[in-house]
Amino acid sequence: MEASEMSEDILMSLLDNLPGPFASPMLQPPAESAELAAILCGMIALYAVIRIIFEPDVMRKLPFLNVFSFSIAGIMALMIPHPLGVIAAAAYFIGSTFESNAIASTWAGGVEP
Amino acid sequence: MISLILQIGFAALCAWVLFITIDMIWALPREGGVVGAKAIAAAVEKAGGDLRGGTMMGNIVSSPDASAGTLLAACGVYCFGIPGGLLATVLVYIGNRICSDPGYAGTTGCFLATFMVYGGTKIGIPAEFFIIGMVIAILTIQGISHRHASRLLGKIWRLRK
Repeated sequence: MEASEMSEDILMSLLDNLPGPFASPMLQPPAESAELAAILCGMIALYAVIRIIFEPDVMRKLPFLNVFSFSIAGIMALMIPHPLGVIAAAAYFIGSTFESNAIASTWAGGVEP
Repeated sequence: MISLILQIGFAALCAWVLFITIDMIWALPREGGVVGAKAIAAAVEKAGGDLRGGTMMGNIVSSPDASAGTLLAACGVYCFGIPGGLLATVLVYIGNRICSDPGYAGTTGCFLATFMVYGGTKIGIPAEFFIIGMVIAILTIQGISHRHASRLLGKIWRLRK
């Protein structure tokens, strides 16, 4: 009994000391207000997805998709408070607008030659 | 709890006013920058909305504009302070060029929003509330009712002219 508890302790301390992928002195855990903001962003993203599903017109789905991208980019930055977090959020957001642009242009008949 | 809701509401109002003002100054409702923006405007008009407001909504979807700039500036200030906001400005500029958008609405919006969010953190509104504030602001334009939002945008556009 004692031995197994001891080995568990050793294992836990080893796991604590191992540098994980997010171990960086610049990365603090998100504050409580950031978690509140992330929950609200998540609820808005869920609402946008429901609107996308029930919208029959393809072109009018895209503004809801834009709201969804805003929420996800916000959650990414809120959950990764690190300089690379803003690059990840910006790359995701710009990529998603580029995709929306491509979908809208294709659906509208493409670029005129 | 009440003060948190008031702070989020104030941040959302600031973000809304900033991005609508800059988009109107850069004349986003005038014409669709790309083919897709025109198609979205036509779809919104067919649903009973305003063509000019629909054009602005199409432009917001098709390229990072001042609303995207405000969101990414808030993310930048939250993660990295003023340098983060300026980094986001550079990324938004690159994004504008990738999306073949000739305008500078996103870059201007991001640059100005960096200082707005930084000023907000100085008076006690944390940057994360500007992120959720911007998400709420875009929800009111793009996510509730396209007909009413486009009519409101069209009204503001005619006021500006």
